[in-house]
Amino acid sequence: MDSLSLLWTAAILAAGLYWFFCVLGPAEQKGKSATAISGGSISAEKVQDKYKQYWSFFLRPKEIETAEKVPDFVDTFYNLVTDIYEWGWGQSFHFSPSIPGKSHREATRIHEEMAADLIEARPGQRILDVGCGVGGPMRAIAAHSGANVVGITINEYQVQRARLHNKKARVESLCEVVCGNFLHMPFPDDSFDGAYSIEATCHAPKLDEVYAQVFRVLKPGALYVSYEWVTTDKFRGEEAGHVETIEGIERGDALPGLRSYADIAETARRVGFQVLKELDLALPPSHPWWTRLKMGRIGYWRNHLLISVLSALGIAPKGTLHVHHMLFQTADHLTRGGHTGIFSPMHMILCRKPIST
Amino acid sequence: MRLLTHNMLSSNIKGVVNGFPLRIEAEKVVEKTVEMNGDFLKKMFEKVDWKAFVDASRAMGYNELPEEADPSMLDSDEFLNNFHHALLELHLEEGALVCPETGRRFPVTKGIPNMLLHEDEV
Repeated sequence: MDSLSLLWTAAILAAGLYWFFCVLGPAEQKGKSATAISGGSISAEKVQDKYKQYWSFFLRPKEIETAEKVPDFVDTFYNLVTDIYEWGWGQSFHFSPSIPGKSHREATRIHEEMAADLIEARPGQRILDVGCGVGGPMRAIAAHSGANVVGITINEYQVQRARLHNKKARVESLCEVVCGNFLHMPFPDDSFDGAYSIEATCHAPKLDEVYAQVFRVLKPGALYVSYEWVTTDKFRGEEAGHVETIEGIERGDALPGLRSYADIAETARRVGFQVLKELDLALPPSHPWWTRLKMGRIGYWRNHLLISVLSALGIAPKGTLHVHHMLFQTADHLTRGGHTGIFSPMHMILCRKPIST
Repeated sequence: MRLLTHNMLSSNIKGVVNGFPLRIEAEKVVEKTVEMNGDFLKKMFEKVDWKAFVDASRAMGYNELPEEADPSMLDSDEFLNNFHHALLELHLEEGALVCPETGRRFPVTKGIPNMLLHEDEV
């Protein structure tokens, strides 16, 4: 081959590789870069160990021995996965029903805005985001409703990521993040005009505890909406296949134990809420939420290759590969959960704190 | 952390009867200009605990707010501007929030208050 053709071949190859890794790979063009994947607040050398500790904690059967340890492990989980989530998924760490003709980003935003509409969030109100992650929903909800949103998350790394994203957002003045445990909320009674939690309360060992805290900090008459992770009425505890899928989901997502859909309203009422509306948002006419997980073999191996190279170069911490693999396997369980209909990540419940208690 | 947020934070350590308001120890305060919205300010005025707010603003080095305030003051542009400035434009970047009953310090780092409790405080 003459030198010109060689040059062209090299250029096309380079462009192809760039497109494959850097364009198809990340969830957002200006978002997290693969070279910036870290273990969150965990220092690079400790990622491998922390991953092993996490995995052995959740390998134990459903009865998590010490409920007090759960927040620590949820914290560890999010240190390990936040960067990968941001890189591969985006800033909103939750699912949404897919909408034909709309991008994942659009569908996510619509799902988030619906939460804001359900609690009738308005300008001048102070709304609480229970388990705010890196703040994807917070920013969308502040932009859509004009309300002031305060987010709480237990993970110090996420809190810094949220702050970074908030600073760049148009709605910076409407959003604020606090590092805290939603089981012991650092807010006075009767302070918020509304609250929402999107796929976050699943991390609480007892749903009563987080619901009771939300109830406490809401003003009388205020609304609370939650999108809950649940096993549905199709789930059969006697079926080994079902149990395997659910346990796979629990292990790979730092969940102390998935609730049955029937428990949610019961819990809300027990802590004092009036239940206004309840609906599994995953059911038809909604389109599947799990199709987004189908990254396919090629996508997985591409990411695996990229992370291997970055780990070998010492750019990504050792252990990242294990975490990536764990998430891939978890994606399998989640997909099966969605496909069989035994699991839903979006059982919506809308509650009101009564005016007089 | 803005003072709007500080006005909603309290100490929830076990045994504490009234953990609000948290006293501010300011090490680094930053000012960020933000567009003023009169409607928003009027709504917030009704919700803000004024005494806690004034004390907090003084701890941040801002002394323009009156000790007491009533809704009629919202008609004054000067008051509105000062209220806006203290509520939304002053940020505590580094420092601490102190529990009024136990003296326990909750650190504020890079603008974020860390309200996580230790095992023995729960």
